[in-house]
Amino acid sequence: MAGLFDFALPDHDRRLLPEGRIAGQMPWVLAIMIFLTLLAAAAGIVMARAATSGSEDLSSRATVQILEAEPAVRAGVRGQVTKALTGFPGVVKVTAVSDERVRQLLLPWLGDGLTDGDIPIPALVDVAFASAVTDKQIAEMKARLKNVSADIRIDSHASWMAPFFALMQSLLWLCLGILLLLLFATSATIILAVRAAMNTHKATIEIMHLIGATDFQLARLFQRRVALDTLQGGLVGLVLAIAVILLLAGQFGQIEAGLFSDAAMPWYGWILLALVPILITGLSMIVARRTVLTNLKQML
Amino acid sequence: MQSVVEFDNVGLRYGTGSETLTDLSFKLFPGSFNFLTGASGAGKTSLLKLLYMAHRPSRGDIHMFGQDVVLMRRERLPGFRRRIGVVFQDFRLVRHLSTFDNIALPLRIAGIQERDLKGPVTEMLTWIGLSERADARPATLSGGEQQRVAIARAVIGRPDLLVADEPTGNVDPDMARRLLKLFAALNKLGTTIVVATHDIHLLHEVEDAQMMHLDKGRLSDPTGALRHPPKPLILKA
Repeated sequence: MAGLFDFALPDHDRRLLPEGRIAGQMPWVLAIMIFLTLLAAAAGIVMARAATSGSEDLSSRATVQILEAEPAVRAGVRGQVTKALTGFPGVVKVTAVSDERVRQLLLPWLGDGLTDGDIPIPALVDVAFASAVTDKQIAEMKARLKNVSADIRIDSHASWMAPFFALMQSLLWLCLGILLLLLFATSATIILAVRAAMNTHKATIEIMHLIGATDFQLARLFQRRVALDTLQGGLVGLVLAIAVILLLAGQFGQIEAGLFSDAAMPWYGWILLALVPILITGLSMIVARRTVLTNLKQML
Repeated sequence: MQSVVEFDNVGLRYGTGSETLTDLSFKLFPGSFNFLTGASGAGKTSLLKLLYMAHRPSRGDIHMFGQDVVLMRRERLPGFRRRIGVVFQDFRLVRHLSTFDNIALPLRIAGIQERDLKGPVTEMLTWIGLSERADARPATLSGGEQQRVAIARAVIGRPDLLVADEPTGNVDPDMARRLLKLFAALNKLGTTIVVATHDIHLLHEVEDAQMMHLDKGRLSDPTGALRHPPKPLILKA
């Protein structure tokens, strides 16, 4: 590994390979690959954050629905339910949702001017637990509330949100897979570019070898050039990716739906994204070095 | 005395063809000056390639500087190659490097600091008469000038063994004489010289030179029995 990250080649050593790109349009190809890698990484980070925070938040909540048709009775039951669940093992907060709030929640589906005369609207009690709600806790809650009213339903948020979080997990794995495929494709691009460059500079390589250059001296020349090309492409890819992510973040911000409220890039996400081109540059140097060393053994 | 080069029953075959070099056995001693003659296709360049370790033989043993180089690990070869100066028949100058940088190449590869190589390279440029063309690229040099640069590159590192393939082929008789004098001067300093040439008259230019003659891949005169070529017609004309 000695000399792997040795960028600071003296000027005369740099000139041993002609100045210019190692293989034509490689920085642009790398810019595209790194741009796509960054988008996949950004999607992964956002989804991981949304899935984690949403899952933690929702899995520790349950909603009690009071289906009593008579409004006055329903209000009374709501108060009894709130009282019965306060102090229940594991429960940290019990909130009776006001009728006004329930109407607001139903507004997108049932329209304005809704009254109890039109359709019976259930009363809701929001229950927050200290940790994820278990089936046992739900069963115990049902048992306790059975004495309060028969027209009560308990919804564990975790159970109805499970398919959504499973989808998020699948998408997260998909992002990871795409990320790995892109890294593989980037490595393959670098291998092809280095092989082409070695072919172009075969005469120079041969003469340097016969004069006594070691494989590592030759590899250092190529890995430096590849690193510069990758950094150049990486910067272009990073700028483009940041622009796209900011644009999408703005559009997501306009969506009020709760499921997407956490779909924003966290501060550490930006740091991770900025590290991607640097990591790919490191990867490209390792790939270039291995390619040169392997090919030299076949060439000479 | 330990030999610089020792070939023992060496054969070289390219691919699946017949042997280009067959049953070569000889020794080169430190400070010897050797001419290698033979007709075109006799195997001179192939023998030189074995000497500067561009190829490994198909069979036999080769010892250089007391070490078996046939079985030597690849990583150790560059260290040995740095002890050998090579003048290629086709010069093999690095086309995007200047005359100065081409000559300085072996020193830079050997890790010599810039401040220590400017003097010797400048001196060498003066000696081969190309001071004014230090910044010129090989493509802008004549054949003779390129050959002088190639020779300067081969000798700049004061090698223990100098291998030259037709080094006087593209230069005028005066320059040929000067180059041979340079080789002789290096030889006096202890460098073992091997010069492949068609021109057996060159033998008279160097005192105590030995001659090896290749004929269809076989060394026909390893003992120097052919050391009586006709009087030189070109160089001393």
